[in-house]
Amino acid sequence: MAKKFVTTKVEVEGREETKVVELPSRNPEPWADDASLTVVGQRVPRMDAREKLVGSARYTADIQLPGMLHAAIFRAPIARGHVTHLDLSPALELSGVRGAISIDDVPNVKLDGVRLFDRDIHYVGQPLAAICADTLEIAEGALHAVTLRYESLPHVATPEQALAAGAPLIRPQGNKTKNSPRVTSRGDIDAGLFEAEVTITREFRTPCALHTALEPHGAVAEWSGDFLTVWESTQGIFMTRAEVAKAFQLPLSSVRVIKNYMGGGFGAKNGAPHSTYIAAALAKKLARPVRCILDREGEQTDAGNRSATIQRVTLGAKRNGALTAISLEATSVLGIGGWNASPGRIYHELYTCPNVRTTETFAYINAGAMASFRAPGNVEGALGLECSMDALARELGLDPLELRRINYAASDQTKDREYSLKHLDECYRQGAQRFGWGRARTRERDTSTKFRRGVGMASIIWGAGGGPPAYATVRINQDGSVEVLTGAQDLGTGARTVFAQIAAEVIGAKVSDVRTVLGDTERLPFASNSWGSITTASVGPAVRVAAEEARDSLFDAAAGMLGAEPHDLESRDGEIHVKSSDRCMTIRAVCEKLGDVMIIGQGSRGPNPENTAISAFGAQFAEVEVDIETGRVRVLRIVAAHDSGRIINPTLAESQLEGGIIQGLGYALFEERVLDERFAFPLNPTMHDYKIPTMSDVPPIDAFFVEGADPVANHIGAKGLAEPPIIGTAPAIANAVAHALEVDVTEIPLTPWRVLAAMKV
Amino acid sequence: MRLIVNGSTHDVTVPAHETLLVTLRERLQLTGTKLVCGRGECGACTVLLDGTSVYACLTLTVGCDSKPVTTIEGVAAGAELHPVQTAFLANDAAQCGFCTPGQILAAIALLAENPAPTEDEVRRGMSGNLCRCGTYPKIVRAVLAAAGGSGTNG
Repeated sequence: MAKKFVTTKVEVEGREETKVVELPSRNPEPWADDASLTVVGQRVPRMDAREKLVGSARYTADIQLPGMLHAAIFRAPIARGHVTHLDLSPALELSGVRGAISIDDVPNVKLDGVRLFDRDIHYVGQPLAAICADTLEIAEGALHAVTLRYESLPHVATPEQALAAGAPLIRPQGNKTKNSPRVTSRGDIDAGLFEAEVTITREFRTPCALHTALEPHGAVAEWSGDFLTVWESTQGIFMTRAEVAKAFQLPLSSVRVIKNYMGGGFGAKNGAPHSTYIAAALAKKLARPVRCILDREGEQTDAGNRSATIQRVTLGAKRNGALTAISLEATSVLGIGGWNASPGRIYHELYTCPNVRTTETFAYINAGAMASFRAPGNVEGALGLECSMDALARELGLDPLELRRINYAASDQTKDREYSLKHLDECYRQGAQRFGWGRARTRERDTSTKFRRGVGMASIIWGAGGGPPAYATVRINQDGSVEVLTGAQDLGTGARTVFAQIAAEVIGAKVSDVRTVLGDTERLPFASNSWGSITTASVGPAVRVAAEEARDSLFDAAAGMLGAEPHDLESRDGEIHVKSSDRCMTIRAVCEKLGDVMIIGQGSRGPNPENTAISAFGAQFAEVEVDIETGRVRVLRIVAAHDSGRIINPTLAESQLEGGIIQGLGYALFEERVLDERFAFPLNPTMHDYKIPTMSDVPPIDAFFVEGADPVANHIGAKGLAEPPIIGTAPAIANAVAHALEVDVTEIPLTPWRVLAAMKV
Repeated sequence: MRLIVNGSTHDVTVPAHETLLVTLRERLQLTGTKLVCGRGECGACTVLLDGTSVYACLTLTVGCDSKPVTTIEGVAAGAELHPVQTAFLANDAAQCGFCTPGQILAAIALLAENPAPTEDEVRRGMSGNLCRCGTYPKIVRAVLAAAGGSGTNG
C-alpha cells in the first residue's frame, strides 16, 4: 500500500510552500479537453445572486445579536512616538458607554510587528485603545473624550528617508527586511550586457494602492462560556480561527469563525486583523456580543496596501530582439510591516533570457502595513518590465508584440522545468486579432486635434496551480438534494457556484438541486485561505473526489432498484439510467427509497505534479486617447485574452477578468495613497480623494479565455484566474500612452500632471 | 415622527441628527442598505425618498416624515423580482454584492427619470455608485436590458 501522507509544493502569491498532503481516496482521470461535460463549462447563473439582489444577504456588519454593543477604535494621531498618558475614564463616564480597553486588556498579539495597542507609536492610525457603547455613534463620540499625551520621535515617510544614512531606526532590526537586498540571479548579467548590441535603462515608479473593498474589515464576537464565535469578513476562516485561538489561549475547537457573505477582500482580509481581537476582547470583558467594524478612514489607513516601488531596469538585446540581459534594482515600500511580495519575480519568468539579475530591497516606513493585494509583486513588476520591453522595442524599431514573441519562454527558467500548459502564444494571437493590433499600431497619426491616440499591450504570468490541503464533503439528502460542504470562502468570486457545478457534473444532479455551504469552521472541513487565485484549483478537485464517492454509493444503491450493476449506470440531469436501456429512476426516487440513509462522500486535494510549473497567462491590449492640452488620459477599449485552463463557468470567470482589468485601470490612471512627507499623515483616506474607477471611466472590455483544459495541473483541468487580469492592464495602458505621445512613460498613476510632465521631458 | 418604509408605517423617535441610514439599519433592522463611506462618496446607501434616489447616509431621518422610503428590501414584490433585479440576475451584475442594493435603487431612479437611456446616459447617471469588484460592464448591460433597449440608442 502506498504511503498515505506525502509532501508537495504549493505556490501562493509567488511564495512556494512545502505542504504535507493526505493522498485522496481516489485519483480520478483528468477531464480531458474533449470530455463530454454538461454542467461544468456552462454559464450557470451565480447561485447566491438573488440574496444579494433583494438585500437579504447578511454580511458581517449586518449581524445583529441581542445585547450587542458597538466598538470604535482610538487611533494614534502621529507617525512615531511614545504614549506618555492615555486616560479612557472621561469616555467611560459618558451615557451609553459600556467599556473600554487598552494594552492591558488584550492578549499580547503582534500584527505586522506591532503589538496590539502598543504604547510605542509606529504610524498614523495605529490603534491605541477601543471604546464600546450601546450605539456606534456613542462609541465614536466617546473617542473625543479620551485624553492622550505623547512624545514625538523622528519618523520616515519615504523609502529614500528610510534608507538614508543616519535615518531613525523605526524597526528594531533596521529599516529594511532582514533579507534585503535580496539578490536573485541566473547566468552572468555582466556577460549578458557585454554581449548586448542594444541596451536601455529606465527608472519606474509605482504608487501605494489601497484595496478599498466596499465592505471594511470587521468582526462580531460573542462568548458563551469559554466558547468564542466570531463573524468575520475574511478570506480565511481557518487562519482567523487559528490566530484568535492562539491569542486567547483556546483550543481550536472552542473558536468558531463564520463568514457567509463578504463585500470583497482583494488580498487584505487574510487572518485576524485588529478589529477581531478588539471585538473578542471587549466581548469577553463586558460579557456581551460586540461588533467592531472599521470606518472608512480606518480601512483606507490601516487595513493594508500595495507596496509602492521604484524599479531601475536595464535590458540588453541583440539587434534581432533576442534578450541577452535583464537587470532590476527595486525598492518596495512596506509601511510598518508586510511581506516581501517580489516585484522581481516576473523579470525571471516572463521572457527567455539567459542572464537575469534582480536586486530587491524592502523598506519600512512609518505608515500602515502592506498586505497582499491582487497579484502582489507581479502587478508592480509587470509595469517596469513591460514598459521596458516597449522602450526596447522602440529602440530596436520592432513591433512590441513581435519583440515579446521573439523572447517567448517555452519553459520555466526559474526552476528549469516545463509548464503544465502554456497558451500565451494563443493569447497573443487571438488577442491581437480581436484588437486589430497590427492595423492600430501602424495607423497614421492624426495631429489635427489636441487628441492623440495610441495602443499598447502587455503580457501576463502568474502562478495559479493551487494545491493541497483542501477537503470537501458531499451529502446527498433523503430527497435527492445535494450539499457541498467545504471550509473555503466566496469573496464574490463565484466559488459557491463553481463547486456546485462540479458536484452536479459528477453526480448527474441538476445544478439547481445542489447547494454549496462555505465559510464556517465548525461545520465544514478544512480549506485554505481564498488567496493567490487558488480556490477553484485547490478545492475543486476535492469536491470532485467527494462527489465521485457519493455518486458511487448512490449507484450502488440504485443498482439493486434498477436490476443492474453499478457500472452499467449513468446519471444526468437528476436521473439515473441503465446504459442502453430505457430503465431509469430519478435521484430523488432512489434517495426516497433509501429512507434515512444519508449518502456521504469525502474528498481531498492531491499533490501537484512534480517538477512542473503551473501558471496562468494572458495578453492585454489597450487603446487610449490623450488630451495633450490637459494631460487627461481616456481609455477607449481593452481586449484581454487569458489562459486559465478549463473554465468552470465562463460568465463568472469573465466577471473576474473585467473586475481585475478595471482595478488595473484605476492603478494606471488614478489610484495613489498620498502620504504627507513632513508628518507621514495620509492625505486621502476617503473614497472621494482616493479615486477608484467609476462606471463612466470604464471603456468597452472584450475579455475572454483561450480554450484548453490543463489536465496536467489537476484532474479538473482548472487554473486560477482572479489575479492575472490586473497584472497586464496598467502596463498596457502606460504603453499605449507612450505610443500616443511618442515619449517614455515611467510613472503611474497617469494623472494629468504626470502626463504633461512626461511630454516635456 | 412617522416613517413609511416599503409601505409599512413606523412611528419612531429619533435624535434630530440621526441619519436615515442609521435609522434603517439599526432601528428598523433593514440591513440591506449598506454603510461604506458614510459621507456621500460611494452611493452604496442609495434609497428612494419620494421616488427620488438619495444617499441615506446624508439624509436626516427627521426630514423623511410621512414620505415614502423604498429600500432594497421593498423592491421585489414578494417572490417576484423587480425587472431591474431580474436584469441584474440575468447579466451577473452582482459579484460580492455589497454595492448591489445601492446600484439597483440608483438604476430604478434613473429609469424612472429616463425610461430609455443610452449606454452613455447609464454610465453617467450611475457613476456615483462605486463598485470595487469592477462589475460595471455587467451593471450597464443589466440596466439597459431592464430598460428594454439594445444599448445603442434610446
